[in-house]
Amino acid sequence: MNTAVRADALVKAFGQTRALDGLDLTVKTGEVHGFLGPNGAGKTTTIRILLGQMRADGGRVGLLGGDPWKDATELHRRLAYVPGDVTLWPSLTGGEVIDLLGRVRGGLDPRRRAELLERFELDPRKKCRTYSKGNRQKVALVAAFASDVELLVLDEPTSGLDPLMETLFNECVLHEKRNGRTVLLSSHILSEVEALCDRVSIIRAGRTVESGSLADLRHLTRTSVRAELIGPAPGLAALPGVHDLAVDGDRLRCQVDGDALTPVLAELARVGVRTLTTQPPTLEELFLRHYEGATR
Amino acid sequence: MTGTRTLIRLIVRRDRVPLLVWIAISAVLPAGIASSTTALYADQAARDSFAAASMTNPAQLATRGPIYDASVGGLTAWTLGSSLALIGGLISVLVMIRHTRGEEETGRRELLSSGVIGRHAPLAAALAVVLAANLLLGLLAVPALAADGLPVGSSLLFGLSIAAGGWAFAAVAAVTAQLTASSGTARGIAIAAGGLLFALRSLADAGGIGWLAWLSPFGWVRLTRPYAGDQWWVLGLVAVFVIALAAAAFALSTRRDVAGGLVPARPGPATGALSGSFGLAARLHRGTLAGFAIGFGLMGALLGVAARGLDAQLDTPQFRELAATVGGADAHLSDVFFTFVMYVLSQLVAAAALVSALRARGEEAAGRAELLLSTPVGRLRWGLSHLMFALAGPALLLAALGAAAGLTYDGDLARVTAATLAYLPAVWTVVGIATLLFGVLPRLATAVSWTVLGLFLLVDLLAEFRLAGGFVLELSPFVHVPAMLLGDASSPVVPLLGLTVVAGALAAAGLAFLRRRDLAPSA
Repeated sequence: MNTAVRADALVKAFGQTRALDGLDLTVKTGEVHGFLGPNGAGKTTTIRILLGQMRADGGRVGLLGGDPWKDATELHRRLAYVPGDVTLWPSLTGGEVIDLLGRVRGGLDPRRRAELLERFELDPRKKCRTYSKGNRQKVALVAAFASDVELLVLDEPTSGLDPLMETLFNECVLHEKRNGRTVLLSSHILSEVEALCDRVSIIRAGRTVESGSLADLRHLTRTSVRAELIGPAPGLAALPGVHDLAVDGDRLRCQVDGDALTPVLAELARVGVRTLTTQPPTLEELFLRHYEGATR
Repeated sequence: MTGTRTLIRLIVRRDRVPLLVWIAISAVLPAGIASSTTALYADQAARDSFAAASMTNPAQLATRGPIYDASVGGLTAWTLGSSLALIGGLISVLVMIRHTRGEEETGRRELLSSGVIGRHAPLAAALAVVLAANLLLGLLAVPALAADGLPVGSSLLFGLSIAAGGWAFAAVAAVTAQLTASSGTARGIAIAAGGLLFALRSLADAGGIGWLAWLSPFGWVRLTRPYAGDQWWVLGLVAVFVIALAAAAFALSTRRDVAGGLVPARPGPATGALSGSFGLAARLHRGTLAGFAIGFGLMGALLGVAARGLDAQLDTPQFRELAATVGGADAHLSDVFFTFVMYVLSQLVAAAALVSALRARGEEAAGRAELLLSTPVGRLRWGLSHLMFALAGPALLLAALGAAAGLTYDGDLARVTAATLAYLPAVWTVVGIATLLFGVLPRLATAVSWTVLGLFLLVDLLAEFRLAGGFVLELSPFVHVPAMLLGDASSPVVPLLGLTVVAGALAAAGLAFLRRRDLAPSA
């Protein structure tokens, strides 16, 4: 089996709103899959369906070779989940919650638990009532990373962590990947997805708009070009595939479609170039393109 | 105090519906009782004989206190004085804690406090709303009472006495909200204090130790004696009590951090031994259950002591007559008394059981169930682990009540405990209704469950005033419980078994629906 998660044309409606409107998602075994979308796009709803906490109104869904609704208990032995908004039992300590979650998931590695607690700088003796959002998230993360499971489902797991802890989180995810685990990582933090994920699915308004490896998606966008020229380049504006051209004296900035790069460079070389920077599109740019004017 | 007005508007906006319902019901009830009293006891002779019978009934004395005057107004004030103070006090505590400690616990206070909101504004705003609501319902009751032909001055005093009960407990809650970081604990301490003060008044009136009533707000709201001599100055006691506690609350609040308690949080264990869903449920339920068990045990012990000397005191023609109608000619008089009180207390046990039965819904609403149910813990196991405590809890509470009462009364533990445990199937029925609602209508389960319990209590009250009868009365599960102490002629097995089957069917249906529905976190 080489597909950990497979969802086809998922539909879920809450009253009048269609939270999911034909969503597709495929996560291969052993990959870190980024699940991207703005707030309210349907990420959490999809995850709740994958966890058997909600039933889809339409479409097909498979998780680790089973049906997430019917086989929930069996499948949950093989996965760990970190919710986006972690709420814990106020009267229990962090350590008690970690051990409780570990025990119901079938045991956790005490060495890994101790190591993670130290690295995340989490005091397990404090009552959950006193933890900040970030610390509550750490409790759920430590419990998940220290469990022996095949699949990690992480819903915006770093939203409460500081940058240092985010780096640590990235290391942990890569560690899990090296151990052959599959990770589904929902996020709207693009740098995180860019650094970690093999493939991404981008969703908008309950529908998958793009899916593939980062390399696959890059061809869809434009390279940004900055140059300092020796002479003026009047021909540039007329070339097809050049956008947002801005000229300031001998300095120039523009966006260029992937397949228009060769003629643009030829034109620049003809005029003469003092400095030249080109940048691959960041996920921010991918995102902007997909969500431009797409608010509904 | 800056920002108090803004916060007042926020509280009123958030709670406008429940506040209005509470005010409307409390304001209408007095006039309703007054007119039905007029209808039921047409002349002074009828009222006198009713008052004489009630005054010799220690259960009535314990729950309502003495009747100061057998006029229509006097009887109305007696019927409602204690119960409206109890209801108003409870609602005042709930609203106060919700808008003070509850707001801090959820972190919403932090968001507001970062704005232009003075340090004392949240407490001041909550107090202002609750005190004003109580005053409003007290004043609104006056015109209707006057329309029933009762003197305006005394009616005003009666209205203010009703308000005074709510005031006193708003002030108690203002203090307890400062003590701990947990709103549940703050609520618990305030309600426990209320229970203790009510017990004090009960003991004073049923045990013939009159001066004790002066130590409790529940005593004061009757000692104002509306329609029976109008002792206005007693309201001054309430005012002093409220002002002193409110001042203490403001003083305490300046000495602590936002979201912090005066009692500092201690570190707990770094590792845990909770084995799973049942272990977790045990941990979540045990504190509440232990608290309730101690409370009901104390109440039972108090009851036993109070009942000891009753046989001689009760031996009046009126009470004999009453005892004969409910228990037969040879019924033991103090057994009749016990039977009355247990009927009331069993409904309190049902309220405690409802707290346990609705905990699973609380877990779901808070989002904690989502985390636990993402593990191999299944819906059924999770639901059952909470249901178990909602079923075993009331058994423990009724046993504690019965055992303590039996021990201090005549030493016959088994007999009295069996009588209290007879209420278990009725309490289970309430738990079953809550479980069914939790399965079918999760978002409404809490509100509807409490409303149903409230309706059962209302049915009893209406039946007492002959405003309801027949099949309406039959709807309440408590009506079907046989009076074990009186050796009810018919076999107790059939009704008890019947109620148990109904409760089991309701709970099973609730769990079946729980397995089939989507999780419904409140966010």
